[in-house]
Amino acid sequence: MSTQASVRPTADGGHSEDIAGRAGAQPAPRLRQPISVVLGRYSALFLLAFFIVVFGALEPDLFLSASTFRITFSEGVVTAVVALAFLIPLAAGTYDLSVGAMMGTSLVMMNWFGANTDIPIGLVAVGTVVLCCLIGLVSGVIIVKFRVNSLIATLGVSQVLSAVTLKVSNNRQITGAFSAGFTNLGEKIVWGVPIVVLYLLVLAAVIWFVLEHTPVGRYLFAVGSNPEAARLAGLSTTRLTYGSLAASGGIAAIAGIIYAMRVGAYSEQAGPGLLFPALAAVFFGASQFSGRPNVWGTLVAYFALAFGVKGLQLSFGPGTFWIQPLFQGMALLVAVGLASRQIAQTKRSRRTQAAAAAAEAEQAAAPAANDGGQDAASAAEPNSAGKSVTTAKSVAAGLSVTAEESEKRPASDPATPGESTETAGVAVDAAK
Amino acid sequence: MNEPALEIRNLSKTFSGQVVLDRVDLVLGEAEVHALVGQNGSGKSTLIKVLAGYHQPDPGASASVAGRPLQLGSASAAHDSGIRFVHQDLGLVLELSIVENLMLTRPYPRAFPGRIRWREARLLAARMLARVGLETDVRRPVGELGLADRTGVAIARALPDPALGRAVLVLDEPTASLPSDEVERLLATIRRLREAGNGILLVSHHLDEVLDVADQITVLRDGRRVASTAGAGVDHDGLTRLIVGHDLMVSTGREEAVASTEAGVLHLDEVAGGTVRSVSVTVRRGEIVGIAGLTGSGREALGAMVSGRLPRTGDLIVDGTAVAPADPAAALAAGLAFVPGERARYGTFASMTVRHNVTMGSLRRHVRRGRIDARSERREVQRWIEELGIVTRGVDAPITSLSGGNQQKVLVARALRLEPKALVLDDPTAGIDVKAREAVHQIIERSTESGLAVLLVSTDSDELARLCDRVLVMSHGRVAREIRRGSDLSPEAIDHAQVAATAA
Repeated sequence: MSTQASVRPTADGGHSEDIAGRAGAQPAPRLRQPISVVLGRYSALFLLAFFIVVFGALEPDLFLSASTFRITFSEGVVTAVVALAFLIPLAAGTYDLSVGAMMGTSLVMMNWFGANTDIPIGLVAVGTVVLCCLIGLVSGVIIVKFRVNSLIATLGVSQVLSAVTLKVSNNRQITGAFSAGFTNLGEKIVWGVPIVVLYLLVLAAVIWFVLEHTPVGRYLFAVGSNPEAARLAGLSTTRLTYGSLAASGGIAAIAGIIYAMRVGAYSEQAGPGLLFPALAAVFFGASQFSGRPNVWGTLVAYFALAFGVKGLQLSFGPGTFWIQPLFQGMALLVAVGLASRQIAQTKRSRRTQAAAAAAEAEQAAAPAANDGGQDAASAAEPNSAGKSVTTAKSVAAGLSVTAEESEKRPASDPATPGESTETAGVAVDAAK
Repeated sequence: MNEPALEIRNLSKTFSGQVVLDRVDLVLGEAEVHALVGQNGSGKSTLIKVLAGYHQPDPGASASVAGRPLQLGSASAAHDSGIRFVHQDLGLVLELSIVENLMLTRPYPRAFPGRIRWREARLLAARMLARVGLETDVRRPVGELGLADRTGVAIARALPDPALGRAVLVLDEPTASLPSDEVERLLATIRRLREAGNGILLVSHHLDEVLDVADQITVLRDGRRVASTAGAGVDHDGLTRLIVGHDLMVSTGREEAVASTEAGVLHLDEVAGGTVRSVSVTVRRGEIVGIAGLTGSGREALGAMVSGRLPRTGDLIVDGTAVAPADPAAALAAGLAFVPGERARYGTFASMTVRHNVTMGSLRRHVRRGRIDARSERREVQRWIEELGIVTRGVDAPITSLSGGNQQKVLVARALRLEPKALVLDDPTAGIDVKAREAVHQIIERSTESGLAVLLVSTDSDELARLCDRVLVMSHGRVAREIRRGSDLSPEAIDHAQVAATAA
């Protein structure tokens, strides 16, 4: 293309040449991350391995048995599904704190209709999912139309849902609502694996595919990254918000249905108590792998914590009922703490990179202006080879930066304009 | 005593074997405005960063402030000797009042048990403002102030206590985003600070201002000082030659106005809202129409209204399709693409890659059976990188690893790949360096060859004069004047029309 040749030498020949030069001298002219950040991205896997080794050594017979693994996984499925429900709106920067209560609502619906009517349970399940999607849409309307902060809106909705479940259940346990055929769907073991774990994996795979490989997923993360720019790029940010909350409601409903299959009864502790462990798993998971909220990070994080809790309970006996909240709380704090450290380190390393880039830019000046044409062509190759550089800073990392912090930053750190506006942007998203 | 306010000798800086600053000397006299000019990459910013203590200089450099030796490469030593920096990003919190902003870097006057003496704080703040010639209610939020006044507040905050003696003030691109009438006010502030005996080191790309205000000019090129001259001893062309090392390539050579027989593509009919009272304009196929105007004229809101970021009344018709207000998706669907101003805020997705940023908004052509075909997406983005000369480590590099100019090109790619019929650009070259600006200009110019209608909103008169077939100068929310290529289109004519229209 002739026009190309006319642009490149004048525009960027100098820079290109410089990068080519560096690529020759140094093997990897790319964003390097501190090793602790890289390791931190797999910390949940290390933690899982650590728990299995330690408790395996402490309680080899109890802990390392197939039944312990089976129980830990199948007990965890419901919470893990609730975590996935939380994950989807979070990708778009919206907090849905009603996922726990939503799961409780689904559970009470299943039980009430199962116990009091003859409607086929399959139909009830479908109706429950649809209803919970609609409740999610209501949250969406409150957030989008009435411009209520998503934390507040969904917290309010979750309380209303708690009231509904209390009213419907009359604050009593509901038992005997389901046929053996239905509960069998939750108790079966297929190829040595509890069937509910397979449900979880299928659901997770679907969500992973949507988030990572479809335009909708891309757009959700875009809204989470910069809602205003997303709108200007032609995305329907409101539809995405509605959709993510409806999906969240539907998935929380599925969690309730799986619980109904597995346990076969309703008790009022079931729903809201799951919110916190789910949230901890998503945030911990968001520091894993890609460094933004992601499906597999969430699951690995969740089960790492679950095995830790199980191991402690097995090692120290029945008096350790307090272990779980302690563990989940610590995990959340450590996870978000890690994410902040990650920001700090990446920022620090980025600062040295910025210095290098400045040097690079300083270098790139006039001498290349004349012969830039040829060099630009040769620069294209190393450029395309240096692909796939992912940074750990992300929505997830941004979660740890509170709105207050980011308000202070522009003042305390005026030397780094780009960064401060960026983090402020993320924090605003998070607070939205 | 006539010790220079700041003296730097033999300053070199080497980054991993590459010489960035090569034995640079700089002498800033007492009560002098000293301009430091050079292209991006000439070493200016490195010099400033060494002075600020951000980088260590190579051994052999020496510096002194008012005769006292200064240890370079130490932020606290620089601060203690009275050197103060005001960066282009002013570091003000817009929601806070002036007095709160001023007190961010110093203690409040307090009473027991920690209560702030607001009255005293306000008096102190007013005194600080008076030093930069600013008089206003210090309880006003900084966000209410014009850009020049904000810069004034930032300077007032940076100035050390007068009791500590005279300061060396380093102003890094203070006028980069100021419209021309506000620039004048800022230059007045700079002169005032000089009268008070302060030494001022002014880093700027804007040669007119430099020539206007500077007593001395130091020109850096490729890390070397190529000239130090009195401001009065050089003119615009001479200074340009010193900076570039050769004559600047002149314009994109757009010759004549597009024939008025071409069909209109983009119609604005009595568009209004906010500061815009009523604007009607038709942009024809292949035409570039510029929108100029001082801050407050409505110019700054017009682009946002057309793109749908801000609400509006009045009709917007793109190629026969009426576009609803405040609906960017509808505008895009009708064939109107835009490159928003304030890149980081309205344009880029900071946590995403170059690839994601380019293809955002339209992935349809890369979707196979519901799945994004990443390979075909990468191929397309790679083509754009080559076509627009985007400097990046690759299609999957984080967008934040690119320079501002290259981020801007990414946004241009995002707009052009939609094959729009009309393109609206809002200050597309604000804050990017000369070469990138040149490249963006050529891209805009080239895009009209295939019949694209372009509406270019800009604060840069030079840019408008270079590119546009006609320029509409806005004032008081309306088009006050139209300047056509071939008759009287020039940067001076635009500047003049902007100011004249305001006065009328």
